[in-house]
Amino acid sequence: MKRTAFLILSILFFCFAVTQIGFSEKEEIGSVGTLTIFHAGSLSIPFEEIEKRFEKMYPDIDVQREAAGSQQCARKITDLGKPCDIMASADYKVIDKLLIPDYADWNIRFATNQLVLCYTDTSTYADSVNADNWYEILQKPRVVWGHSDPNLDPCGYRSLMVMQLAEKHYKIPGLYKALVANRPEENIRPKSVDLISLLQTGNMDYAWEYRSVAVQHGLRHITLPDEINLGNYRFDELYSTAKVKVTGKEPDTWMEISGQSVTYGITMVKTAPNPDVGVLFLQYLLDAEGGLEVLREMGQPPFLPARVPDHKMKATLPDELQSLVEVKN
Amino acid sequence: MKTRELFFWVMIFCAVIIMAFILLPMIQLMTAPSIPMLKKTIRDRDVVRSIALSIYTSGLATLISFVLGTPLAYLLSRARFRGKGLVESVIDLPIVIPHPVVGIAILSVAGKNHWIGRIMAELGIRIMGSVTGIVTVLTFVGLPFYINAAKEGFQSVSPRLERVSRSLGASMIGTFFRITFPLAGRSILVGAIMCLARAVSEFGAVVIIAYHPMIAPVMIYERFEAYGLTYSQPVAFWLVALCLALFFALRMLILYGKRHA
Repeated sequence: MKRTAFLILSILFFCFAVTQIGFSEKEEIGSVGTLTIFHAGSLSIPFEEIEKRFEKMYPDIDVQREAAGSQQCARKITDLGKPCDIMASADYKVIDKLLIPDYADWNIRFATNQLVLCYTDTSTYADSVNADNWYEILQKPRVVWGHSDPNLDPCGYRSLMVMQLAEKHYKIPGLYKALVANRPEENIRPKSVDLISLLQTGNMDYAWEYRSVAVQHGLRHITLPDEINLGNYRFDELYSTAKVKVTGKEPDTWMEISGQSVTYGITMVKTAPNPDVGVLFLQYLLDAEGGLEVLREMGQPPFLPARVPDHKMKATLPDELQSLVEVKN
Repeated sequence: MKTRELFFWVMIFCAVIIMAFILLPMIQLMTAPSIPMLKKTIRDRDVVRSIALSIYTSGLATLISFVLGTPLAYLLSRARFRGKGLVESVIDLPIVIPHPVVGIAILSVAGKNHWIGRIMAELGIRIMGSVTGIVTVLTFVGLPFYINAAKEGFQSVSPRLERVSRSLGASMIGTFFRITFPLAGRSILVGAIMCLARAVSEFGAVVIIAYHPMIAPVMIYERFEAYGLTYSQPVAFWLVALCLALFFALRMLILYGKRHA
């Protein structure tokens, strides 16, 4: 009899413990103190620093970040229904395409970047490569170079655009085709940051990355002229002549993306479990002396102030952010 | 009627919980895709190729584990030597290392920055983005499961039987193939199945070594990222269905062998 009582008690305790685990987790995600941010891999290092400074200002708040490809961040919200407060993308268009209007109302553009060609001391031709001969070296048969998947990662199709623009800029017909022909499919990786370990282990000689990523990882890199690096919005008209086909909404469908300067977008998800804290974070991020200053230090020139494309969108922003954002397309 | 003891109900309770825990997500996965979608997916040549590549590379990894792992498993089951515990822990290492770390570790040996990588480059062997690379990773993660199962199988065969065989004039190798190996055959097959299962399911290490050519788990990831759940679930369905059929057939083989032993 005693034993039976013991068994019943332990089962009751077990059930109780299980429900308690459930409760405490629920509390953690939705509680006043936590903020969940999904962001592009190329924002990992600046956002880590911004998180530190923000948490110092608000010790009660715990920022939880998840870095992934920009598209994947959006998919986690739309398809997996993972709770998230803020989503930051390396291409503001991802937010326009996948989150607005169902999952978000607005999209603030807050920073820029540019593409560079990264390499290491052991890369083939590391001693002779420069801004004038990189496209010759990338055509050499022994050189292994790569970029990220254009269908998954904005950095991927942007790398292709840079090479298209180079064909025009250096006036070498057929350059783009010749370059891509020397890049077997095997050299593609899902995200551009995945290429860094290939560079550092000597499995790859050259890789296309954002400048900020190169700076933050201390990689040697070649800076390209503004006409082709996608970093200067004054050249947007020229950039738009570069066009890359990427996969559409289902397999075997395609859509064309035109070149545009690299612009980061950020939004708050409509179903944010913690919108008040989200606004607090955005206030800090969009502050010229706060988050935007961190971005500047880390090689990702911010927009001062941040921008939205039209007045209609500005009207949907939370009141606290109105003064930090201007209308400029 | 005899009343059941409480312990009986506790066992039933736990069994139901565990079955539901495993089956609910699986049923959800297997029933989510629509039939036309499943038909469309299995006619997609890329999907078929990725599943075939998955089974081919996992099978090769299992074969390598079998050929190289069997002698080692036998040695570990019979020999007593100093540092044996250490060797056994080394064999278990691939189980505990996080998957992406496995990929990076193999890449760092195979790259130009390592002398082995330079020798391989001279010989024209490439790990990054190649089938060789995929098989290397899958062998790395599957090997411990095979060796541990085979070792237990050999341990269950009494050394006395081997001594009898030797005393009757059989050579060491003859004894192994005619006495020990057949008696441990069931464990060896179970080990091979475990190794195969582990290899088919690997994703984290493979995606670092080879994104293209795509094995099925990598394609499920790529489809999810590019097109969402609707297009990744059918691929997952076919991979799971084919693997279940394969493992079911192998289990049947074991049962058959047991009955005829």
